[in-house]
Amino acid sequence: MKKCRLAIGLLFCLFLPAMGAAGESYTFDPAEIEKKPYHLGGYLEFKPLLFGLDREAAFYKLRFYNAPQGQTLPEWNGRVQLEGSYERGFYRVYARTNTDLKDTYAGTSERTVFHEAYVSVKPSSSLKVETGKKVMRWGKGYAWSPAAFVDRPKDPDDPELALEGYIVATADYIKSFDGPLKTFSFTPVLLPVYENVNDGFGTRNQMNVAGRFYFLLYDTDIDLLFLTGGSRTDRYGVDFSRNISTNLEIHGEFAYIRNHQKNVLDAAGKSRLVEGDARSYLAGIRYLTTFDLTTIVEYYHNDTGFGGDDMKNYYAFIDRGYELYNATGNASTLVNAQTMAEGAYGRSNSMRDYLYVRLSQKEPFDILYLTPALTWMMNLEDKSFSLTPELLYTGITNLELRFRTTFIIGAKNTEFGEKQNDYRIEFRIGYYF
Amino acid sequence: MIKTIVVALIAILLGAPAFALDGDRLLEQVDRGLNPESYEMYRKLINVEPSGAKKEFTLFSVKKGKDKIAALFLAPASEKGRSTLRLGDNMWLYIPNVGKPIRITSLQSIVGGVFNNADILNLDYSTEYNVEKLEEAGGEILLYLKAKTKEVAYDRLKMWVDKKQTQPVKVECLTEAGMLIKTLYFKDRKDFGGGIARPSVIETDSPLFKGYKSVMIYAKVKKRDFKDEVFTLTFMPNLESLR
Repeated sequence: MKKCRLAIGLLFCLFLPAMGAAGESYTFDPAEIEKKPYHLGGYLEFKPLLFGLDREAAFYKLRFYNAPQGQTLPEWNGRVQLEGSYERGFYRVYARTNTDLKDTYAGTSERTVFHEAYVSVKPSSSLKVETGKKVMRWGKGYAWSPAAFVDRPKDPDDPELALEGYIVATADYIKSFDGPLKTFSFTPVLLPVYENVNDGFGTRNQMNVAGRFYFLLYDTDIDLLFLTGGSRTDRYGVDFSRNISTNLEIHGEFAYIRNHQKNVLDAAGKSRLVEGDARSYLAGIRYLTTFDLTTIVEYYHNDTGFGGDDMKNYYAFIDRGYELYNATGNASTLVNAQTMAEGAYGRSNSMRDYLYVRLSQKEPFDILYLTPALTWMMNLEDKSFSLTPELLYTGITNLELRFRTTFIIGAKNTEFGEKQNDYRIEFRIGYYF
Repeated sequence: MIKTIVVALIAILLGAPAFALDGDRLLEQVDRGLNPESYEMYRKLINVEPSGAKKEFTLFSVKKGKDKIAALFLAPASEKGRSTLRLGDNMWLYIPNVGKPIRITSLQSIVGGVFNNADILNLDYSTEYNVEKLEEAGGEILLYLKAKTKEVAYDRLKMWVDKKQTQPVKVECLTEAGMLIKTLYFKDRKDFGGGIARPSVIETDSPLFKGYKSVMIYAKVKKRDFKDEVFTLTFMPNLESLR
């Protein structure tokens, strides 16, 4: 009898899941949606990298002239982001910290900053006032945003990375309408630049004023933007974005920068100040095919960037400095070149004309949450480029796995040809909590 | 007496046949049976893989009028704070910490699985579709719907409506050529209070995702009015303040 009961019990256990599947019922616990006045969360990231070094490239010589490396160089990166908020009535306090950990051939380093930390007051759905450190997120471009006057520049190799904000006082005023103009909003920004307050933004002891006027007009997002105040030269911008159809979006940005100044090296290695008005612009599309392939194409012209001859002069300056160092041990030229690299010469895309193409295929072969992508970024003047295939998997709740390899290809005296690496292999594990 | 009979006859001739034959009016009744025109609600989306593995998303949604809807992700942690906005045919996605709202398209899916953006930010059926014809069969009415514009995600729908409850039982989503993209099954009718009684579960499967299934569960569907300014790009980071 006991055996019989056991057998029935086992059978019940075997069939229980099937019975559940046949008449599956779904639950929605009210506790899951209960609102709490506070929120705590965060993000952990582990990112090992392997660089395939190009020992003939100018930027390899500049970085490793006194610490030569082999063919490859590993690097270990970690990131911890903690965020919290507290809300009461129409007041809200929000903060997000970012800690970057790095272990390289040169040792370990750690840097912790507040990416954002601000107070919001929102007396109505039409008005919000905020003060503190905040990312403004202006512009419409995916890889670049020339009209994002009060944001730090995006990394075109990873445009979706969270950025650090600036200390600002800002407000949003929103008004909706019936008719062709559906929405208008105005966002004024005060951005002070003093010692220890936004001092990387530009000239100190200045109170800068910026603003954005947003219109949703004839189903098109349009922004008019400006920045004035002395830390940077005055600049004005416009951007737009519009869906042409259910699967095609177009966008663009234009920035007019008055009296832009940059130091340019001549063939003899002498620096001279070049000043003039600059016009930077971007035009792009985002297209989705019926088989879920998303294509982003952007053309970017950056008037503030360097021409091909300017960059050749800079590479030649590094080469001469490298030869001088090898011959005499005198590193002064290379130290000068490093200082320039910390400025405009060392920017991700320091020249003028670029094409960005990204193809990402969502869930190929019906594999849910898998997104392979291919990104191609080309310098249109010297025809050098980078090509990045990647795989992204988000199938495990709160976990994100990304594997990517970047091939960096270009001849001597070209932007990508003179970069430190021939290739880069990267694995990223991100965990949200 | 004759006047009363004439009035009654006119009412019968104009009223009752209009209900029986006017598909567009019936479709509006289906819409109002599902939701008030302006409301808030919570939804849980579950993507189920052939292996049985599941991934869940929780959303808070607000809707106003015929063409304004916004949704805020509450869970999981990787999606928390993301919000989506739809104004007519325009759709945007806002990802906190990453960037400004970007335009998305109705055929994309921000959650993966069988539901796409048009399913998650769904407007009233009568806003997007005309009824081409209807057929009555037993306790159900079959409506053949045709999209009003090319911007609508599915060109054609076949909707089986429960005659008594005036609510959908099943909807087939088709391309212009008649190819089946997905089927939605409306289940588990529930009284949410305030005169709102509707199916609390929508299941979907697709021949394009064989073996996969997605489920949407409704909770706390409640009539509520909002200002137009709530449905703007500038307000997207603030949707949490409406809860």
